[in-house]
Amino acid sequence: MEAKQEIKRSSVVFEDHEHFEPAEDKGNKYLKRIMVSGLISLLLVLVIVYTLPKTVLTVKSLLEYATIVALVIFLFILLIRYFSILIMAYLYINQYTYSSLTGGYSPFVSILVPVYNEDKVIADSIKSLLELNYPNYEIIIINDGSTDKTRQVAEGLVGYRKGKVSDIKISLINKPNGGKAKALNTGIKYSKAELVLCMDGDSQLSADCIKLAVRHFANKEIGAVAGNVKVLNRGKLFTDLQALEYIEGLNMARSAQSFVRLVNIIPGPIGLFRKKAIEEAGYYSSDTFAEDADLTLKILANGWKIYYEPNSISFTEAPVKLQQLLKQRYRWTRGIIQSIKKHRKLMINPSINFGDTFILWIMFYEALIWPAMNIAANLFFIIAAFAFGFSSLIFFWWAGLALLDLVTALYCVAAEREEFRLVGYSIIYRMFFILIIDICKLMSTIEELLGIKMTWGKLERVGVAKA
Amino acid sequence: MELIPILSTIILVATISTFLLAIGAYILYKTRERRGQIAAVPRQAEIVAEVVTPSGMPAPRQMEQPQVAQQPVFVERQPVIIQQFPGQPQQQFTQRPQPYTAFRQQPTGPVTQQPGQYNVPGYVQQRGVQAPQYTAQPEEVRQQKDSKFLKYTTEGYVSTKENKESGAARWR
Repeated sequence: MEAKQEIKRSSVVFEDHEHFEPAEDKGNKYLKRIMVSGLISLLLVLVIVYTLPKTVLTVKSLLEYATIVALVIFLFILLIRYFSILIMAYLYINQYTYSSLTGGYSPFVSILVPVYNEDKVIADSIKSLLELNYPNYEIIIINDGSTDKTRQVAEGLVGYRKGKVSDIKISLINKPNGGKAKALNTGIKYSKAELVLCMDGDSQLSADCIKLAVRHFANKEIGAVAGNVKVLNRGKLFTDLQALEYIEGLNMARSAQSFVRLVNIIPGPIGLFRKKAIEEAGYYSSDTFAEDADLTLKILANGWKIYYEPNSISFTEAPVKLQQLLKQRYRWTRGIIQSIKKHRKLMINPSINFGDTFILWIMFYEALIWPAMNIAANLFFIIAAFAFGFSSLIFFWWAGLALLDLVTALYCVAAEREEFRLVGYSIIYRMFFILIIDICKLMSTIEELLGIKMTWGKLERVGVAKA
Repeated sequence: MELIPILSTIILVATISTFLLAIGAYILYKTRERRGQIAAVPRQAEIVAEVVTPSGMPAPRQMEQPQVAQQPVFVERQPVIIQQFPGQPQQQFTQRPQPYTAFRQQPTGPVTQQPGQYNVPGYVQQRGVQAPQYTAQPEEVRQQKDSKFLKYTTEGYVSTKENKESGAARWR
């Protein structure tokens, strides 16, 4: 990178748009909730005990029939989920392949890079941003009160730097620590651009990512474009499994949602927004731990459409250790549940915005119902093996799911032109990886419903990302 | 021994181990998190920030691609000698674009690479894997490949390709 340039410092006051409701006494509220749930369960048990002698069933046969019915329902939902996502994703890719390009539209874009203690990777991230194949953009680094050398490193980057197509202005905002949402809000308010690209400080963007994403904004209904997140640090068991999960679990679902222009989460590592859409939505909020999901729901609620651009790629560092992975998923799950709770009015009343209602129910199903069903099914097979000696049942269950995952992985790897070796991981994907994730999701859900306090956790980066 | 009972046992053990691993890791994570609890950040109505920007304007720089996009594409007809034999030089006229013609729009759809070039993902480069390189062959080489079959005549080896532009009648 070029030498340090002359810089100008100024103090700016940004208004904080967020309005917080006064904290309520959650202890009593959750105690009441547990008591009500317990009473309802007791009532149901009493009804069963009273009515069972009047039927031909015994307690044992009732349990057997109930589990069989539950499993059939689970399998039915699973197949519907898989095939509807696959078909919609396929239709989307077809539509995408044959849709025409809108050339000549290149509005000014501000790239917002929020950083907190990222001194190891910030220089490489900015260097990669200068390689973007787009003529009209600037970079705004928002230092969210870092305690390491991020400030000094970032100040050394400020100036007009030679980009791939034109000279790029790099600015820095130093603000007190307040979280990613507040950091991005500060950058959005400072930006004068029509479009803002929000990303993570440790992510790296593909060269054509802005050029490919910007073209969708020629359609005035599009409020935001979600990019494609890929795992950068591959080669280890957990990171390879996450690479497969990003392709099979997240990107395919996003493709399916994009077919109806209703992407439910614009990922943190890459999201291009129309500034007007963010202003109308009331900026990012820090009252949930999934600020990207919350903002996406607010943008959709205002009637904007959201598209997914599979070729706008952001390479991000995935958690390497199990503890880090659990930390990330714990925050995601609780954040999504908080967003669902925050927008529950939209969930209950489809007349406000049907798209939001649909998306919220999908989020509810994926975050709460699906993990519980998966864990229950696995527990059933363990119990069936030990109590009744049906140990071969678990094999057929695993074989069915593994085959389904294998087919999906093959399709996704082919569609995204990904590494073929990832397909092999689909054999252990559901039985091992997804089971761990689902147990974490279930625990997080219980904690969220009980109102246990949580704090922002920051993943420790090792500085793998290189430009 | 049958295969299914063995596989069933393996999967059963793996599932139980995964359950225990996940629950254990979660409890460990929660214990570690509880130790590292930090105080909540006080909420403020205003955020005072320091903005650091470059003081001057950038030096004027030649914009490469957009300027090229405005220029018309010149096509010049140049002779290309395919193969030379004593006493019988053959010439063909082919269209060769000028080297500065090249601003083209990206092709429609997910394919982003230029024709004749394979874009390697960053993670592949990072691991030092040798990327498959494919480059389009120049016109001359392709022409030479076309005329690899030679006919032996009293005048020596000649190309089997007809010179249609010569205007001479040929007997078959």
